[in-house]
Amino acid sequence: MNIGQIIKNIWDNSGFNRLGLTGGWQSAVMIIIALFFLYLGIKKKFEPLLLVGIAFGMLLTNLPAGEGDMLFHSEWWTGAEAVEGGIDYVHILQYGGLLDILYIGVKTGVYPCLIFMGVGAMTDFGPMLSRPSSLILGAAAQGGIYLVLILAAATGMYTGGEAASISIIAGADGPTAIFLTKTLAPQLLAPIAVAAYSYMALIPLLQPPFMKLLTTKKERMTVMTSTRKVSKKEKIIFPILVTIVVSLLLPSVAPLLGSLMFGNLLKECGVTERLSDTAQNALMNIVTLFLGISVGATAVGATFLTTKTLVIIVLGLAGFVLATICGLLIGKLLYVISKGKINPLIGSAGVSAVPMAARVSNTVGLQYNKGNYLLMHAMGPNVAGVIGSAVAAGFLLAVFA
Amino acid sequence: MNMNLLCGILNKDDHLKIVDALLLALIGIVIVFIVLIALMLIVSLVGKIFDGSEKLKEKHPEWGEKIAATKAKLMFWKKPAPIETPVAPELATGTCGELKLVNTDERDAAMIMAIVADNMGVPLNELRFKSIKKAEEEEK
Repeated sequence: MNIGQIIKNIWDNSGFNRLGLTGGWQSAVMIIIALFFLYLGIKKKFEPLLLVGIAFGMLLTNLPAGEGDMLFHSEWWTGAEAVEGGIDYVHILQYGGLLDILYIGVKTGVYPCLIFMGVGAMTDFGPMLSRPSSLILGAAAQGGIYLVLILAAATGMYTGGEAASISIIAGADGPTAIFLTKTLAPQLLAPIAVAAYSYMALIPLLQPPFMKLLTTKKERMTVMTSTRKVSKKEKIIFPILVTIVVSLLLPSVAPLLGSLMFGNLLKECGVTERLSDTAQNALMNIVTLFLGISVGATAVGATFLTTKTLVIIVLGLAGFVLATICGLLIGKLLYVISKGKINPLIGSAGVSAVPMAARVSNTVGLQYNKGNYLLMHAMGPNVAGVIGSAVAAGFLLAVFA
Repeated sequence: MNMNLLCGILNKDDHLKIVDALLLALIGIVIVFIVLIALMLIVSLVGKIFDGSEKLKEKHPEWGEKIAATKAKLMFWKKPAPIETPVAPELATGTCGELKLVNTDERDAAMIMAIVADNMGVPLNELRFKSIKKAEEEEK
């Protein structure tokens, strides 16, 4: 036995050696980026429940390893063979790494739907039902999605599927963004998910300047009166009606919206408390774990460290701003139509991001009128935005898929 | 309107032309508004139906009894719930009847009773108050 040979073999197989090989620098840079995202998630608390998982998945996938030791094989999912001949799930289940196996849930769209089920079980549609005009604000904020689609096309860098996936960042809805991107542009899943969740965490910083810029002091001080009381029966009928109406119009979004409404029905029907509790807590936590780490695993240097990623970050930021502006402008229109009864600040809450965007509307409202609590009024457009972004995603899926 | 009509119009792997993107954006936002406005109308309609039925119940309370009776007839397999006769609340020890308070809260009534008992030099449990009424301005 040659000890020198053994040591050489250990060195050759080690990740340290592979860092010095072709493409090794990309892995090193990705590890630094992963550490930065971990810092943002842990220290700065940027959507930590998902960003910590995404960053750790990114770290794991970029630690160089031999073919047999790899946790994730991006070429099996987005390589030429997978694109032309389809994904070989049998091969993945036989030879795949841990993150390959977990990624099946993303690729098949199971995780985003399960997350939506949990979101539905946690959401109270009452404020929206008591003021149905909230749905208009939820629709208005989706203007950001389509403006980003135009911007992405204007860059000339992206295919239709990629442009559509980038545009959905403006919907400020992580599961919807993942659901659309895994179908239309799986190679961009990591940058799009990171951009979507990072900007969602930055909403308290991003929105207020535009809210103050686009509204007058008088508008911001508007006190909204309480709305009608919503009965239990209405809350039960709503998820059933939405599932039927929207799924008939946009079958492509039925899994996502159906899951959201099923979760909500579990909460509202009053006879499935245990299931509602599981959807809100245990299931939600488990899926969040798998979703974060497997989405992060797709961030490999070769596809992440490109100009496209940088432009996605810029377009994502533009999307959040444009969505906020669209919501505020229609909010101002409703202020005029309602003769000053609707505070336009709640328009910015139309950008999904539940309940962060509604909290921002409330905080800005309180700055100008102490005692003017807009939270419940802003929750209407906020939850309507979730439906709106799902509808927008369904439309894009129908066109491109 | 069936969205399947749009399938296959654009290939996800082709570069998106700006003209196509503009058209797509226009159709897309119109569809989002149509769907959400349709939902708004449905939600408003359902809300109006529920509000209307509540108002009818308030206007015609006898209808509620008739509906309950019809329901009971239709659900013949269910045994009618035993009718509970209202039971008067148990009175505290030493109480000798009810005290009627008119425009007076309990705290003021307690104070008044304590003051009267003190002025008369009679223990409170030997006095019986039937009614305490706040005197209005014109009654003074």
